[in-house]
Amino acid sequence: MSNAPWAFVAALAAVPVLVPNPYVLAVLTLAGIFVIGAISLNLLLGYTGQLSLGHGAFFGLGAYASALTSLGFDIGIGFGLRLRVDPQPVWLGFLMAILVACAFGWMLGRLAFRVRGAYFVIITICFAQVLRMVALNWVELTQGPMALISIPPVSLWLPGLGVVPLVTKAQTYWLVLAVGVLAFLLVRQLVESRIGRALIALRSNEALARSVGIPVTHYLVVAAVVSAGIAGAAGSLFAHYMGIVDPDVFMFIYTVTMVIMVVTGGKGTLWGPVVGGLIFGLIPDLLRGRAAPELQWVIYGVAMILFVMFLPRGIVPGVQSLLRRRA
Amino acid sequence: MDQALQHLVNGTVLGGTYALLGIGLTLVFGVMRVVNFTHGEFYAFGAYITYGLIVLGGVNYFLALPLATLAGVALGALLEVALLRPMRKADIDSVMLVMIGAMLAMQNLEMFAWGGVAKLTPNPFDGSPLVFGPVSVLPLRLFVLVVSVLMLLGFWLALERSRAGMAMRATFQDPETAALMGVRVGWVNTATFALGSGLAAASGALLGPVFMTSPTMGDLVGLKAFAIVILGGLGSLPGATLGGFALGFVEEFAGGYLSTEYRDTFGFLLIIAVLVLRPQGLVPARERIG
Amino acid sequence: MLQRRTFLLSGLALPALSRPGAAADPIKIGMTQPLTGAVAASGTYVANGARIALDVLNREGGVLGRPIQLVLEDNKSNPREAVASVEKLVLSDKVPVLIGAWSSTFTLAIMPKLLEYKVPMVVETSSAARITTSGNPYVFRIAPTSEMEALAFAEQLGKFNPPIRKIDFLSVNNDFGRGAAEKFAAALAAKGIATGRTETMTPEATDLAAQLTALKQSDADTVFITSGVEQTTLALRQAVEQRLNKRMVTTGGAFPDQLVANPLPAGRSSYHILFFAPWFSERAPYAPIARTFTEEWTKRGWDFGGMTEGYRGYDAMLTVKEAIRLAGKPEAEAIRQALWQVKIPGINGDIAFVKEGPAGQESGQNRPNVTIVQLSEGKTSLL
Repeated sequence: MSNAPWAFVAALAAVPVLVPNPYVLAVLTLAGIFVIGAISLNLLLGYTGQLSLGHGAFFGLGAYASALTSLGFDIGIGFGLRLRVDPQPVWLGFLMAILVACAFGWMLGRLAFRVRGAYFVIITICFAQVLRMVALNWVELTQGPMALISIPPVSLWLPGLGVVPLVTKAQTYWLVLAVGVLAFLLVRQLVESRIGRALIALRSNEALARSVGIPVTHYLVVAAVVSAGIAGAAGSLFAHYMGIVDPDVFMFIYTVTMVIMVVTGGKGTLWGPVVGGLIFGLIPDLLRGRAAPELQWVIYGVAMILFVMFLPRGIVPGVQSLLRRRA
Repeated sequence: MDQALQHLVNGTVLGGTYALLGIGLTLVFGVMRVVNFTHGEFYAFGAYITYGLIVLGGVNYFLALPLATLAGVALGALLEVALLRPMRKADIDSVMLVMIGAMLAMQNLEMFAWGGVAKLTPNPFDGSPLVFGPVSVLPLRLFVLVVSVLMLLGFWLALERSRAGMAMRATFQDPETAALMGVRVGWVNTATFALGSGLAAASGALLGPVFMTSPTMGDLVGLKAFAIVILGGLGSLPGATLGGFALGFVEEFAGGYLSTEYRDTFGFLLIIAVLVLRPQGLVPARERIG
Repeated sequence: MLQRRTFLLSGLALPALSRPGAAADPIKIGMTQPLTGAVAASGTYVANGARIALDVLNREGGVLGRPIQLVLEDNKSNPREAVASVEKLVLSDKVPVLIGAWSSTFTLAIMPKLLEYKVPMVVETSSAARITTSGNPYVFRIAPTSEMEALAFAEQLGKFNPPIRKIDFLSVNNDFGRGAAEKFAAALAAKGIATGRTETMTPEATDLAAQLTALKQSDADTVFITSGVEQTTLALRQAVEQRLNKRMVTTGGAFPDQLVANPLPAGRSSYHILFFAPWFSERAPYAPIARTFTEEWTKRGWDFGGMTEGYRGYDAMLTVKEAIRLAGKPEAEAIRQALWQVKIPGINGDIAFVKEGPAGQESGQNRPNVTIVQLSEGKTSLL
């Protein structure tokens, strides 16, 4: 990789200065949060070959963990005891989001990697559904369908300014971009390490990988934990950007959005989720007002089909092989 | 006790419809290794065709049922040839995504055509329940249960006894060998998907007058069908039947005695329990999958 | 399809018809409603109500001598898209005032953005109490809270014969259903009526047999059902099957229209708390307004029962137009202040806002009227 990636990041960072249109920034910020989700999903789907359709669960867990930490809560935990947490700073909520998501990622990893393929897909769907039911019905903690509201925006310590809440569009945008770059670097680090090579060996031939002594389950669980943690971070950003979290955060369509971003971009490539994420993160907003609402969805669905059918390996590998053929 | 008997009847009625929904999905998975996300949409399609035929076309309910099923079969065949046949060599998640895309498109085309307002297909039977001592059931629900059971039986017989059934079972067990033995796997796949879609459309047609017909009716049904199939064991026909009734009873009794808030949760918890303790499902298919 | 074309015509063609010059630039009103997804049916009804108001208001000359343009966005029945739709309306279309967003969840999701962008929103449907009590001075709700509905209902208890002695609830498991159960129980407890069982159902549930069988064990005489139109219809029909022979009352203002064409068996009737009863528009507080609305709706061939929800969009448009007129300019802060001065007749009755929530940052809340309609063998009558 040359300097091109850094030029790309610099270009993205310059957007608020060059295009000070708040609508463009709002759309990019919301899309960016889902791109981070897609980057995390890519680790699981692209490098281990396991399709998780419950990835939104980690996103939702992160959103709830972060919101609850920064709002505080007071719940009964049985035997007449109560667990009380006072409102904490947002950065602590962000860390909690990652921790909680990692813990559930570990659990799901241990559980789910006993089964593969379609079984794994469906167990992940069920996992997200059960979490949604819990979020709906554990009213004392989550407020259930009444939603957690008045979630504070992210605050950061900035040199010379002290701790300031990030409220302007440009600040939020840069924050999401920074987390996105960190997530990208973390995934790249992991993929290029021993673990990553083991995962790739595993994806191509699990029996062989086992026979040469790669601790398959262990590496899969590591991938699941890291992937869940990044998704939890994205969920935390989502909660503080929206200012509200409700059980709809576990909706199937959020997961589908991330999956489609990874697959159209090119799973198992570092840049795939970024490219696919920008395309499918922006399509819904570009379509607004251009067709009847139902038809916007139809176009979205058909675009999904066409991308998968005609670029089965994704845009990034497709373009790469095209460039190679030219050269 | 009276309440328990009524729950038993309700659970049976619900389980019959679930079994019908599950069997089409498990068939498609077993033969084609396709997780069919459009299953719920074919259910909605069948319900809308029935509604359209009865209310707009003035067709009798008992004629509309087979017509809607045929329409489901035709649309299923079309979808298979257009979307699945070119994807035969693709991996399972690419196919899944194509199916999710098709699901989004189908659901919203339905909404575009019919509007979001739920429709009610007229009940062809008397609207008052039949009463047997402490329990009561609508004649319509009884009819749906009987037709479901007949369809399940007929379907099983066709699969076991007919030549087409044999080709399907052969493909189910080993597509490569089946192809070598002269089975035209391509056409078996088309027929399977068409049949699975027809079954979903038939359930929609049957249940249209019981529930309501709306563009998003397939969402919950799709999820439920997955649950049923997993419970029974992916690709297992007796398993899907058993899974359907198991889910019906669990939901009904858990909902009646424990907590209605968590009624739908019990189904999903049951699945996770089954997957963890017995990943192959209640009735494993003849070949272990996944 | 017809409705969409009409909408485009009124939105785009009318500006060309009115007087030439800069003054003919239309004044934009933004609206976000669920037009696709789970609750698309109701959102479309409300949007249709607003479309009618748009035509009627523009026929009368618009506002401030300029035509009105309705910019309608789909919130796709999900809170993320509710926020996205508002960002598009405010930041890209630059609307100075909003109407939305049907469900309390979508409205609550939008509320932080109203504070951020300083744009007022008229809330036409959402019932959750905390929309107006959380200290958001940009929220003006014309829909009643569950509590207001319950208190207004309690005043009409004498109309039921035999009287209501004990009540059960069958509620959808969201803020709407839970809120209604809580507030109706409290309002009726004040009248000496006890509560038996409370059963809940998930919004997407279609088979309610378990809940209904459980309700049979209670000795209450009346069941309050709170959910969307679709689930309410299912509950009423399945109650017949489970022989739940109690008086059924639906809350929240939606009417199970499909039961007119497919009535429950003879001898079964249901009661519906409505905010507008289109069958009796002559008995509405301001009959001419209700009549105009009913005529325009029928002319377009839309579902008759949809008017019970569609009126919300109409009243919201009347409210916003009046606020723009009072403000004298289409600017967000001026409109927000003018909303406090609004005092107009609408389909439901008088529309005016009283202050609710913490001092200094109050939200506006209207006090709407309720009507109870009885449905029996496909025929409606006023109770």
